Amino acid sequence: MSRSNWLKTTAMTAALAGAVFASGTAAAENFKVGYAGGFTGYLAPYDQPSLKGVQLAIDEINAAGGIGGTMPIELIVKDTRSDTAQAAVVAQELVDDGVSVMIVSCDVDPAVASGVIAQAAEIPSVSSCASTPTLPAAVGPYMFSNYTADNLQATVLASYAREQGLENAYVLLSRDTPYTEKLPEYFAEVFAAMGGNVVAVGEFTIGQQDFSAEVTNIKGLDPQPDVIMTAAYEPDFPAFLKQLRAAGITAQVLGSDGIDSPTTFGLGDVAEGVVFSNAGFPSEGSPLAAYEAAYEAKYGEPNDTVFTATGYDAMLVIAAAVEAAGSTDGAAIRDAWDNLENVQVATGTMTYKGQNRVPVRVVALNQVSGGERVHVGDFTPDPSQIPAP
Amino acid sequence: MDVVVQQTVNALALGGTYALLALGLAMVFSVLGLINFAHGELMTVTGYAMYFVLTAGLPFEIAVLVGIVAAIATAMLMERVAFRPVRNAGTATMLLTSFAVSTILHMLFQNLISARPKALPVPDWMIGALNIAGFDIGVIQLMSISATALLLFALTVFLRRSTLGIAMRAASLDFPVTRLMGINANMVISTAFAISGLLAGVAGVLWLAQRGSVDPLMGFLPVLKAFIAVVLGGLGSLSGAVLGGFTLAFIEVALRAFLPDDWLPFRESIALALVILLLLVRPEGLLGRKEAIR
Repeated sequence: MSRSNWLKTTAMTAALAGAVFASGTAAAENFKVGYAGGFTGYLAPYDQPSLKGVQLAIDEINAAGGIGGTMPIELIVKDTRSDTAQAAVVAQELVDDGVSVMIVSCDVDPAVASGVIAQAAEIPSVSSCASTPTLPAAVGPYMFSNYTADNLQATVLASYAREQGLENAYVLLSRDTPYTEKLPEYFAEVFAAMGGNVVAVGEFTIGQQDFSAEVTNIKGLDPQPDVIMTAAYEPDFPAFLKQLRAAGITAQVLGSDGIDSPTTFGLGDVAEGVVFSNAGFPSEGSPLAAYEAAYEAKYGEPNDTVFTATGYDAMLVIAAAVEAAGSTDGAAIRDAWDNLENVQVATGTMTYKGQNRVPVRVVALNQVSGGERVHVGDFTPDPSQIPAP
Repeated sequence: MDVVVQQTVNALALGGTYALLALGLAMVFSVLGLINFAHGELMTVTGYAMYFVLTAGLPFEIAVLVGIVAAIATAMLMERVAFRPVRNAGTATMLLTSFAVSTILHMLFQNLISARPKALPVPDWMIGALNIAGFDIGVIQLMSISATALLLFALTVFLRRSTLGIAMRAASLDFPVTRLMGINANMVISTAFAISGLLAGVAGVLWLAQRGSVDPLMGFLPVLKAFIAVVLGGLGSLSGAVLGGFTLAFIEVALRAFLPDDWLPFRESIALALVILLLLVRPEGLLGRKEAIR
């Protein structure tokens, strides 16, 4: 046998063995879900909690026998190291592993990199917490969003500001990420459409420790803003807020879900009265409160971010789509997913039907009061008010 | 005019923290020829040390003390564990080692402590502002300016008056000859790292007081700014690092304060372009010596 023939034979034997192995797993009817996330690097603060939520959901589903009571879920987790190129490599590895659905990173760039690989393989994929509403359209019909979209949150915040009688807004954005740029822009758009006046738009750089120049500029504005909105999060939001309050500016500050973190509640007096939006409030007896209890029971520590709950939600949605499809075929799951309505998840309900793969879900408003979280209310904005992405 | 004075105060406060960090980088560079990119992680260590002390219910002042001591200890440990074994292997090896140390620390923080930021509550008295002659100056800003002034003064006295300080200045000029004079190299290098740890610790406390939380990757950006400041000031020059820090802060604050709105998206690019322009005029940095370029 020549060397090349020997190589071919070996390769074929290996392929056959692989096929036998694969059919062996299929006999056990495991449903394979791949997770290409940034579990180290800059996405770890979002993808690690999402993974915890996904695992909790899988534990619960498998304890009940799996999807539809018959098909246990097998999770294959691969780390992208928060690197966009690596996100594509890892996604291809998951496709080769034969996953039926893929969960991808919280940030848009790696989510697109992984998503296009899944799209090409006709495997549905979902970003656990990317909130840019244009993400699914950018990738194709097999990509879904899971998290509260930026334009949805911005609309709820702007409506709230107008309902409170606030007239003059200052908006602080950063072009470093779509989230920190687009969310305030959507806010400004809706705020102006509702008759408010956007006095000025400021800019910052993520990680800039000093906001004194911006604060001095705000002090010089005429008219003085009575509401200041930003999608900045740690470390920028606390630094900005402290310097703002130190300069004696008392305008209402509105933030988005990025500041839903223990840091915000540890800021003391300066954070008093800050209102921010997020994916849900765990009021007494709500599914989210039940989720938080289950989380604490599994991990032995209280849940400190909503990203675990939205990861849990994503897994429940996947299970609902597979159950509705009655099949593990990618196209069938995709179609069923696109028609899901009122799926009960930890943060409330989610509807994909007629939404171009960006789900409608509730937006909760919270207020910081005495270092505690107070529920302002749950809002589902009128679709006509939501700005086009 | 008022706005100009106010923004000058702002730039002084920001320049203080840049200067402290840049000086830490420059201390180590002057004796080892190494830009320690793990320098920012010393701030992170300060943050986590403070977090654990505060979680244990001890007062903030003790947390600050422990945080700074932790940064000094980590800096010296870094030198002993990571840099001493490769000291004679060339600057490229040491540079890569510093990146490795930085990455390893990131992973340790993320996986052993938490990938999510940890809250670091700051006492309320630090948050307010004083009004001096009609100008607002934040308590943290004031602390930043005074801490920088105090540390610069103390460091100058140390470098000019003490034997070890004089040895360090000599080492920054010509290390081999300094060693021939009977100066213990390990002692000088270890001290340089200890001082850089102290400076990073103080800068860390000031930055942490602003941001209110500590997270695994927080050290990366400040060290980048400090690196720019060191290059701008002149590699190998300690006073240059300080001047570079303040210059960078003045450029940044001026651009953020006075650029027209349409130009704001380009402020970072303009700031770096100005730095490059300065370097074109003075390739060795503001206070650099030609022979310091190795």
